[in-house]
Amino acid sequence: MAYLNNEITGFLAIYLLLVLAYAILIMSSYLILAYLSTTELKEYLKKNSFIDYSVLLTSESAPSLSLIAPAYNEGFTIQENVKSLLSLNYNNYQVIVVNDGSKDNSMEILIKTYDLVLTNLEVHSKIETKKIKGLYTSRNAAYKKLIVVDKENGGKADALNVGLNIAQNRYIVCIDVDCILDKDSLLKLAKPFLESYGKRVIATGGVVRIANQCVIKNGRLVEVNIPDLMLPRIQVLEYLRAFLLGRMAWGKLDALLLISGAFGAFDKEIALLSGGYSTKTVGEDMELVVRMRRYMIENKISYTVSYIPDPLCWTEAPEDFKIFKKQRSRWMRGTIETLHLHRRMFLNPKYKLLGMLSIPYWTLFEFLAPAIEFIGLVITILFVICGVLNWHFFLLLLLFVYFFAVLFSVIALYSEERTYHKYPKQADFLKLLLAAFIEPLYFHPLTVYASLIGYKEKIMGTKGWGEMTRKGFTKKP
Amino acid sequence: MTKIWEVYKSGIWIEPFLKLSIILFAAVSFTLYLLIIRSRSRNIRNERLHLEYSVLIERLISSIIFQDINFSVITEDKEYSRLSKTTFFREVAMESIINLHKNYQGIHAQKIEEFYKGSGLIKDSYKKLKSLRWEVKCKGITELTEMNVNDAFGSIVTISRSRNKTLKITALNACIRLSGTESIMYLSEHPYPIDDWTQINIISAFKIHDLGDTKGVELLLESQNTTVVELGLKIIKELKLTQKIPYIVQLAANAPTALIKYEAQSILEELTL
Repeated sequence: MAYLNNEITGFLAIYLLLVLAYAILIMSSYLILAYLSTTELKEYLKKNSFIDYSVLLTSESAPSLSLIAPAYNEGFTIQENVKSLLSLNYNNYQVIVVNDGSKDNSMEILIKTYDLVLTNLEVHSKIETKKIKGLYTSRNAAYKKLIVVDKENGGKADALNVGLNIAQNRYIVCIDVDCILDKDSLLKLAKPFLESYGKRVIATGGVVRIANQCVIKNGRLVEVNIPDLMLPRIQVLEYLRAFLLGRMAWGKLDALLLISGAFGAFDKEIALLSGGYSTKTVGEDMELVVRMRRYMIENKISYTVSYIPDPLCWTEAPEDFKIFKKQRSRWMRGTIETLHLHRRMFLNPKYKLLGMLSIPYWTLFEFLAPAIEFIGLVITILFVICGVLNWHFFLLLLLFVYFFAVLFSVIALYSEERTYHKYPKQADFLKLLLAAFIEPLYFHPLTVYASLIGYKEKIMGTKGWGEMTRKGFTKKP
Repeated sequence: MTKIWEVYKSGIWIEPFLKLSIILFAAVSFTLYLLIIRSRSRNIRNERLHLEYSVLIERLISSIIFQDINFSVITEDKEYSRLSKTTFFREVAMESIINLHKNYQGIHAQKIEEFYKGSGLIKDSYKKLKSLRWEVKCKGITELTEMNVNDAFGSIVTISRSRNKTLKITALNACIRLSGTESIMYLSEHPYPIDDWTQINIISAFKIHDLGDTKGVELLLESQNTTVVELGLKIIKELKLTQKIPYIVQLAANAPTALIKYEAQSILEELTL
């Protein structure tokens, strides 16, 4: 019996050591990334205050861009959203709206609003896609930038590939048609392509923020507000943490794996050479970035991926748990699929920082974290049942994790306050502060649960996005 | 190793470690909260002061511009003489007169320039040029350029050789604005590669400051720096300088790289169409 007790004590000690090591590793990596992000952000803002983006408006050398906006059942908002895409502050661009076999009246609305007619534009399909039913351009000269593609339903990646095949410009900008873009977003997104001497810039991405309860006028954001509902409110905080304290650091290390599918620009030639968007995954945005990077490394071409910390794109966050769960489980499936497709890169020195740091980080802290937390919960319950749980230490451990989560959110708030200061209203700041205290108790368990659903869906072989209904933004007349 | 394992296994370190970490996290969070509050209060205060100072400065400048009041009279203004010693007031003053200067031309602009010199703000700008921080240097360059201080050209040329890209662009643009085509000579000797973004900024400076005659642009085509040659070709292309065709023909015949040869030929085609 004494021998068995010793065995159990030894097992517990090793288990606790591993858990503690994991917790310390994840916390310190967050803090290191936050430090790198804030220093880089400070430097970026200093530089940005002397930059005149308007020079791109008059320059013949401004990069030519093709905006690709896939749309599926967006009839409710498509008219206004396309109009806002056509009125961005940039000269050298075209807009390709790809109607991905919508079941609603999106196509009819587009044809009527923009006076569209069928065109014989030749499409050289470099990537195989679902059948194109028709290509439309406008008879109205005011909409000469617009091309609308009507195609059979094939999912977001397939729609983006159609856009890639049709795009006539050197760079493509992939956007969610329902996003609200800052009017200078294209100017900011295009600039990095001109900057790197001797290195090819293959992709650029900007910060996405939450627009729930913000006021939109003529397709532009005119008033920033913090949502009253707790779920979208905490997502505001979550996005601040991810974009201001995470991705900026990965950008600085040139090891960024993800450019948000909501708004990102890519070198069309490299995107095509890499094979375009993968239809095998629901995480097509991350997968493309990884594959493009991999292509550049394997072909020994000097390259970089650029990241812009300015809030360029505003999107609607899910407000109810059902939609939120669908979104997060899909994100988890996308992560698993991308990591699996590129498993060769894991701890492979050939892929430098990407293989030795980014991919292991995503594997350990994005893919495995929910599983580890779940296992921890199960073991804790077992300890309670067996009566071996030390409640005193357990509570201390809980407080340790809780206060770290609060600290990290407060760092994000501090960073936002000292940089973009997008939430000047006192009430909004207090709402976010309150969210920082509630997040670990309410939001975090939900994300873990949704991620576990993602694992389950992956194991069960679930494919596709599932229906994502949106409420729409508050509009000012 | 065994000793460490024994210490770990004994568990005596866990409680102090956790307690210390919790206190540390809570204390740092609270400190950051206080810093946010301070930052927000400071912003509110600065916004209020900014508004107050701007009104005062605009009133004084208006009296100089439209009522022909001498600067010496302004210095007798009690409020001005008291505030002009504070850094924040001088910053707001600088910002205001630069904005006003952008909106005026001729005699009015000259009066603002006189105020800039008389008030000693010019010294602040020169002091900024000597700063070790590149962003302060940039600010100084922008101010001196806006106020057309040609004497600063030499110092700005030196700064334009900086490795810092933003500083380099600001300095090169300032050189073009202050000295026009004279700056081309310095550009042709530029030792470092000039990327596309910097090139676009330089071309824009040529356009904005109406340097259409662009005497000496051909010098850029003779530079040892291939990016400067590319810049020269782009300036000729964007400003449609057909008078420079003979130099492009010469370059196309003796181009240092295949890319430049191709660019020269395509610009020739475009200009001779």
